[in-house]
This record gives sequence, C-alpha cells and structure tokens, in this order.
Amino acid sequence: MPSFTTQVPNLQQVGPVVEVRIAVGTALEEIERNAGREIPTPAAAVAMIDTGATGTVLREDIPQQLGLNPVGVALISTPSSANVQCYRYAVRLLFPNRVVVETLAIAAPLQGQHIQCLIGRDVLKHGVFVYTGYIDQFTLSF
Amino acid sequence: MVAVLEKELETYECKRAELVGKAKDKFALVKDTEIVDIFDSELDAIRAGYERFGNVPFLVKQIVEIETPESFTSNLMGI
Repeated sequence: MPSFTTQVPNLQQVGPVVEVRIAVGTALEEIERNAGREIPTPAAAVAMIDTGATGTVLREDIPQQLGLNPVGVALISTPSSANVQCYRYAVRLLFPNRVVVETLAIAAPLQGQHIQCLIGRDVLKHGVFVYTGYIDQFTLSF
Repeated sequence: MVAVLEKELETYECKRAELVGKAKDKFALVKDTEIVDIFDSELDAIRAGYERFGNVPFLVKQIVEIETPESFTSNLMGI
C-alpha cells in the first residue's frame, strides 16, 4: 500500500503539513506530450491535511505557474462567506514516496505565510490518515 | 469571481432543467453556448474537453437540481 509518514516538530501548533509537488492532470499531460509540447514542471508547495475541507485547495498562483485553465466552478462556503464560486483545476498531487493522487482542486487566496495547499477529503476518501499526536507524526496511506 | 467561465455557466443554467430531466447526476461538458456532450464520469468529461478544445477554459458541471456548496472550516481560505 503506497504511503508516507511525516514527522513534524510541534505537530499540534504547526498541523499535519507535508511538502508536495503539484503537477498538471494526466489527461492534459498526455495530450500535451503527444502534441510535442513541453510539460510544465510541477510546482512545489507546502500542504496541510485538512479534515475540515470537503475538497483540495490550491493557492491561486499555483494553477498560473502550471499554465492551467479552469475546467469547472465549485460553490463553496467558509467561516466568513457563503456560496462563493471558485475555479476548479485538474491536477495531480505528488506526495513523498511517489504517492500520487489525481484530483480536482479549487483555487483560493489561502491567506497565511506557509501553506499553499489544503489536502481535503476528496483525497482522504481514497486512503487512511493516521495522526499520532504523542510522537508528532502522521501517516497517509492509499 | 469566475468571469472566465461566465458564458458557460449561463449556458448551463439556461439548459439545466432540461438536462436534469434527461441526465441527472451525470456530467455536462460545456463550451461557450454549447452543451458539447454528457458523460458518466467527471474525469472522462475533462479528458474529452482537453481532447476537443486543448488547454483552454471549459466547464464540466455535474447535473443536479440544487447544488450543494463544498464546505471549508479553515480560516486560511482567504474568502
């Protein structure tokens, strides 16, 4: 079963964060490759696993870095707003240990210094998330 | 906030009742003022969109009567 385990000093304060890379979705990559066009280099991002998020979120500049165009619109609600429309993008999330998940992510401003991606329940639905707080460690398996 | 897909959203909204009647819960591929096709899976619809139009904006929308918002409890969202 593909999985990765991450140790985060002071996990309670920092949260379950992991360095990931965001790549264009498989369908677009195949089409671009077959057409002889260059595939954008995956974008590096610090991601937090967020069980309070229905879906995965990317900071708005990441789809731009990848040259992606939206393939949909999601209606979202947050603590401070309701029924806001956001663009959706087809991407692959490249986790440590070559764990790869294909998903549709929404783009949002993602305020804050260190997080560029929230990993939501669209990803977690495929796997097992083990949060071992007393040793500042978590594991995600698929 | 989603101006790039405004025309596609209008197209979908205009035809939503008709689509719900014939393809509820499936996925519509919409480009400009046309419902291009209907698919069983969202990823199939997206692949078809890329194959037909390339890496340009298009709309894939699940056909539902009432859309349920996705919820986010994080205050990091910035929205």
